[in-house]
Amino acid sequence: MTTNKILIVLCFLLSLQLQAQKYYTRSGSTQFEGSEKAFEPIAAINTSTTVILDTRNGNIVSQVFMAGFQFKNALMQEHFNENYMDSYQYPKATFKGNLDGFSMANLNTNNTFDLNGVLAIKGLEKYIQTSVTVQQQDNRMFVSGVFFVSPEDFDITIPSIVRDKIAKQIQINIDYELIEKK
Amino acid sequence: MSLLKKNKLVFIFTVVALLAIGVGYGYQYMFMSPKKVVEITPEFTADADEFNNLMDENLPSWIGKVVQISGKATQVTQDGILLNGSIYCQFENSQDIQSITKNQIIVIKGKLVGFDELLMETKLNQCIIIQ
Repeated sequence: MTTNKILIVLCFLLSLQLQAQKYYTRSGSTQFEGSEKAFEPIAAINTSTTVILDTRNGNIVSQVFMAGFQFKNALMQEHFNENYMDSYQYPKATFKGNLDGFSMANLNTNNTFDLNGVLAIKGLEKYIQTSVTVQQQDNRMFVSGVFFVSPEDFDITIPSIVRDKIAKQIQINIDYELIEKK
Repeated sequence: MSLLKKNKLVFIFTVVALLAIGVGYGYQYMFMSPKKVVEITPEFTADADEFNNLMDENLPSWIGKVVQISGKATQVTQDGILLNGSIYCQFENSQDIQSITKNQIIVIKGKLVGFDELLMETKLNQCIIIQ
């Protein structure tokens, strides 16, 4: 009797395991750009973003390390980590959200989805609403999109001396190529 | 009088020259690009398992540091390799990955960016193969 129960539970767990359709990447590209015209570009790219997408319900989680943002300018990179983001105290930014109405089966007809979720940077959370495109090719899923955040929302104070050089709205570009998680 | 005048000229010339050098260095400092991993001496050299123990103790102090780690490439993917199943390394030159085979013992140097709680892995960026 008890062995039967255990078997049933095991089968149930196994079926869950089989159902779990997850796609992920460890090397997604997250870029930001906050330049004002006529000044030197303020931009950086991070190519080691972790993203996990659950294709059954469209839930998406991602994580990006501040120390992984690469700038063209060493001084800018140093200021980003030490003065603006406090990368040692707050090493990462996370996002948890959902692709509204996501359906793997209908990707051919519809591949633009509303993405709603919470972005956490420096321990502060901000609700984000944007739209992203999801494309499937062979066994890969391509997720890409653009959204804007404001440094004020995350308590990032910009000294007055450079205030005019940094955009009020920072543009964030995401470009992730996900593979099936086994 | 003429000696004083001459000295004054020399003095002005020296000041201008020093200023020019200063501005030159300042300019270079302002616009230099970030150091490559290859130019930085690793702050720590160890075996992957030994390194994991250290990371557990005090992760924040390792963020942004360059470390040199030896271990077994337990997984080789298109974008990087996994050392001892727990340290994910992405490379400065992605062609480097092609020379690595699964289960090969390898020594790499890279910049630690953090611990990934979604996948339970430590991440290294801009890695280069040492051996």
